[in-house]
Amino acid sequence: MNGFNRSRLVIAGVTCFAFITLTLVFFALLGKPPFEMLAKLAIFAVGDAYSISQTLAKTTPILLCALAAAVPGRLGLISVGAEGQLYAGAIAGTAAVLAAPALPGILLVPFMLMSAALGGAAYGYVPGLLRARLNINETIITLVLNYVSVLLVNALVFGPWKDPDSQGWPATISFPQGAILPALPGTRIHLGLLLAVALAIGLHLFFTKSRMAPKIQILAGNRKVGEMFGLNFGFWVIALMALGGAIAGIAGIAEVSAIQGRLQPTISLGYGLTGFLVAWLSRHQPLIILPVALLVGGVVAGSDALQLYAKVPAASAVILQGLLFATALAVPGIMKNMRFGLER
Amino acid sequence: MNVELFVTLAPWAIATLRSATPLIFATLGETLTQRVGVINLGIEGEMLVGACVGFAVGVATGNPWFGLLAGSAAGGTLSLLHAALVLGAKANQIGSGLAVWMIALGTTSYFGRALVGQQVTPLPSLGSPATDGVPFLGVFFSQMTMGVPLAIAAVVFASWWLAHTRPGLRWRAVGESAIVSAENGIRPNLVRLQAIVVGGLLAGFGGAILSVDYTQTWAQEMTKGRGLIAVGLVIVARWRPALVLPIGIVFGLAEVATLRVQSLGSIISPHLLATAPYLAVVVILIVSHAFARRGSSMPADLKSVFA
Repeated sequence: MNGFNRSRLVIAGVTCFAFITLTLVFFALLGKPPFEMLAKLAIFAVGDAYSISQTLAKTTPILLCALAAAVPGRLGLISVGAEGQLYAGAIAGTAAVLAAPALPGILLVPFMLMSAALGGAAYGYVPGLLRARLNINETIITLVLNYVSVLLVNALVFGPWKDPDSQGWPATISFPQGAILPALPGTRIHLGLLLAVALAIGLHLFFTKSRMAPKIQILAGNRKVGEMFGLNFGFWVIALMALGGAIAGIAGIAEVSAIQGRLQPTISLGYGLTGFLVAWLSRHQPLIILPVALLVGGVVAGSDALQLYAKVPAASAVILQGLLFATALAVPGIMKNMRFGLER
Repeated sequence: MNVELFVTLAPWAIATLRSATPLIFATLGETLTQRVGVINLGIEGEMLVGACVGFAVGVATGNPWFGLLAGSAAGGTLSLLHAALVLGAKANQIGSGLAVWMIALGTTSYFGRALVGQQVTPLPSLGSPATDGVPFLGVFFSQMTMGVPLAIAAVVFASWWLAHTRPGLRWRAVGESAIVSAENGIRPNLVRLQAIVVGGLLAGFGGAILSVDYTQTWAQEMTKGRGLIAVGLVIVARWRPALVLPIGIVFGLAEVATLRVQSLGSIISPHLLATAPYLAVVVILIVSHAFARRGSSMPADLKSVFA
């Protein structure tokens, strides 16, 4: 066990080193001084109170989307649907607000969050059901459905939900005060972050300590063995896909309510895919997801600021994430090959 | 049938074929890749890179053919990353495909900014004085470019090649069992590398057809999931290259129908109509899984990566 953990740590260390090297190369290719850029990136991520607030604001949806991918991931499912579930949650949550805008915040916020979770859950339920009943690959269905809910948000804000006073700008009315998630004064750190951290801890307990934990573990390891023990694979596929969807749905309404203040076409800047990457890097372990999401949130927020400061392209964050993903996939295999070569 | 009907049908038929062409190339490429037991979600990125580089080269040289070749080469080059991760580092195939996609998404949106609003020379029409006067055929040829016949030829050639040649047999053998193939003197990793690159070349070509010949513009993330749809359609085509053609055409028809409904001034939101291809692939997958005997035609080695 000890040696096992140590080799994991070595892999993580080499991955970080390789990624930082690639990042330096990337900046050099852009014609920017690489070390200065890296230092600026770190400063823009955590350098002062404002940067930290920005980092935590980016961390929140990434953390929730990572948990959304990790939950079905515990069963060995590869769900890349957090982006679509996020938009579905935003729709359902906004519907709740538009239905009862006059409710006091103490009622409206829970109603809005529940509705968003249900919307996201429904959006996760569909690929779950298709996987459980017809054995249709969940990766493809979740990827394709991502495009649908984004278009649905567009259809709504350009159509029936458009604020008549917005003069052509596609968006709903501004959310009433009672529908805005409470935030720390003067920052963008809102209730969503607290919820996300609580969810991470809760999920950790659920997947390690609860009565269900061993069942899920057995089914993930070997479906046939699990079914011999009378466990229902299909039930867990649907349940975990829906639960993951619910979590992503909360990410959606949190962005709409706390960050944007109304529903408009672009809610997420690829948080679903980023969250998937974080969940993958953390091997679907909620307590590891917490720091990794913070780290990636810092990179995203930092490169946002870097874009303004150093005219680094807006696409940098996506390219860096892709490089991080590729590095994390390559390093374990390359190290194994090298070790194998030495032993031979 | 009367001439008038033909005259209305001709633009529909040609629009369908032209909108299906990029998808046919990508789906064919993914089919060949999956036949050797490798799934590549990165073809979404390879299409995107093909569309971007193809458009850029088309604009720079003024020759659409150079654009198509460059786009294809770009897709093939990017597919080497998937090959390196999957074959070299034995990385998870789904994860690797997504990484390739992310890198392509980022780099094309960066380099593509300069291409927005540029004009490209499209492929020449196939119409000639000989066909111009003929009803149906006249319209048909005057609106058609070489993309369509090339797609059909590629499908026909790939089905024949896979079924009737020695290398085709090797590819099929590796897809069924890399271990048994290796015991029989085939180098599975070499075959898989070839198939991944061929898939990348075809996806890149499809992407370039999309930007250079079909839309004739560049827009960020313009493939809009066509590569992902292609991965789904491979299952529907039961991993048979020949079936890629009819399935691609059904999709082209759906897209054209959507565009026509829109242009008729329909009250349905264009955004709602745009969901049609994505919902269509979900429905087609459901139908195909519900009625076909599952897994019987799936390459056996693919089952380990892809339930």
